[in-house]
Amino acid sequence: MMNVQENPLGPVMGIYLCRAADEDIKRMKVASGGAVTALLLYMLEKDLVDGIVTAKRTKGLEGQAVVARTREELLRTAGNKWSIVPFAARIKEKIEEEDLKRVGIVCLPCQAQFFSQMRDFPLLETDFGERIKYIVSLFCMGTFAFEAFLNYLRIRYDVPPSAIEDIRLERDSLTVKHEGGELRLPIKEVYSYLQAGCLVCTDYTGVWSDISAGSLNEERGWTVMITRNPKAENLLRGAKEEGYLEIRDGSHVMGSVMKGAKDKLARAQRNMMTLL
Amino acid sequence: MTPENGNTTPGKLRVLNVNFAGCEGCNVSVLRAYPKISDVVDLDIAYLGERRHESYDVAIITGGVCMNDPKSVEELKEIRKISDIVVAFGSCATFGGILRFCRGGQEPRPDQRNFQPANSVIRVDYSIPGCPPTPQMLVSFFKFLREGNERRLKLFKVVAGVKKLSGFDLIDDVVLTGLCIGCGACELSCPTGAIRLIEKRPDLIQEKCIRCGTCYVRCPRASSIICMKGGD
Ligand code: SF4
Ligand code: SF4
Repeated sequence: MMNVQENPLGPVMGIYLCRAADEDIKRMKVASGGAVTALLLYMLEKDLVDGIVTAKRTKGLEGQAVVARTREELLRTAGNKWSIVPFAARIKEKIEEEDLKRVGIVCLPCQAQFFSQMRDFPLLETDFGERIKYIVSLFCMGTFAFEAFLNYLRIRYDVPPSAIEDIRLERDSLTVKHEGGELRLPIKEVYSYLQAGCLVCTDYTGVWSDISAGSLNEERGWTVMITRNPKAENLLRGAKEEGYLEIRDGSHVMGSVMKGAKDKLARAQRNMMTLL
Repeated sequence: MTPENGNTTPGKLRVLNVNFAGCEGCNVSVLRAYPKISDVVDLDIAYLGERRHESYDVAIITGGVCMNDPKSVEELKEIRKISDIVVAFGSCATFGGILRFCRGGQEPRPDQRNFQPANSVIRVDYSIPGCPPTPQMLVSFFKFLREGNERRLKLFKVVAGVKKLSGFDLIDDVVLTGLCIGCGACELSCPTGAIRLIEKRPDLIQEKCIRCGTCYVRCPRASSIICMKGGD
């Protein structure tokens, strides 16, 4: 039998609702309030890290791992969370090329797991875990086998990849924001375009991260942030004191986040029975 | 051997390293880790002299066991008897590693044909692959062990029950089953460059794979599935 005893949210120190204090960032990120961007900016500007590693959208839903070292670079990256960027090898190159000694990484739960395990357990002399200072994981319901998915949007809805502005995947629906408007699809319809690997993934929030972040429908304009250790707590507190983040208590949304986590876990268990 | 019980500093773990067949990379890694853990660990390792105790809190096995050598097999069984926790450290001790390719006929011991990981002979509590794992890995291991952090150590506990893991298993279990998400962790983790991502999926250059298993435990998909299945 599979072990489901563990808390699906992982270790939780605090849960907060946050948004950027900076008006520019807030305007760019209306739905989430831009808290992640503001937190990263705080790390960069207060010299807590030498660079931020994140994914930048290139074409369609494809992305590329990039390093941001300034405010301008950071604002230009506007994260890619729809497809997995083959992060690992590329990031090592980047970190070594630019000789970054302390980096913050924004990634998805599976990648957070890898980086965190590398940081805790350096199996190889060539590992660079000691350079990873903060791991921020975004909530994730899955990523797409995007070639097939893009074809579907183009053929069925006449939305070409180039017109897609944003995609939000939630528990029961998917919203595609495109130049001509918004497309809201029930999750059933797009289910088969999720990567099979994501269908057996049990981690919604990123239990291996230092901080997990994501938005919920009921709190538009705010980002839920879960701190997982004292280092993360201090980081949030610092960002607030230095005027980067607005923070309020988030204990009332714990239930919703837990629901997301349980749904994803249940989905994974169902799929493991059939896929494995 | 003259065991002199009682000369261990209280509160320190009594740790024994015994090296079987291998290149000595792993036991050197243990030795290199020692200065960083000497405040919590009292280590007996061949490099530093004779064994000092009759029993140990933790035994670290490095190297694979030659099944054609009854002395080695017996020694390993003996270590199990005198140790509370047995850790297989490095790929030869955990999964067989490159020793899997041995076929005998080689000087100085042409009679030695068959090498196995420690868990083919005894029960192992934690398996830490790597060719070799870094000294820092052992430092982390003892940190989490002393904290009793089961969650962090679960992966190593689960793979202690697995005798063979390699790039071949990764391809079979994760890539061919369609579960690979294309993150590239395996490519980054292979010490011999046996894995290349082609069109966002790993491809194995078979003759380069030394069966160390690093890619498998580093794959977020493989490691979480193996933990779920092995977690009962
Ligand atoms: S592919 Fe590489 S990392 Fe994986 S078992 Fe083979 S040698 Fe080790
Ligand atoms: S680490 Fe696993 S999921 Fe990631 S690319 Fe390799 S096989 Fe695929």
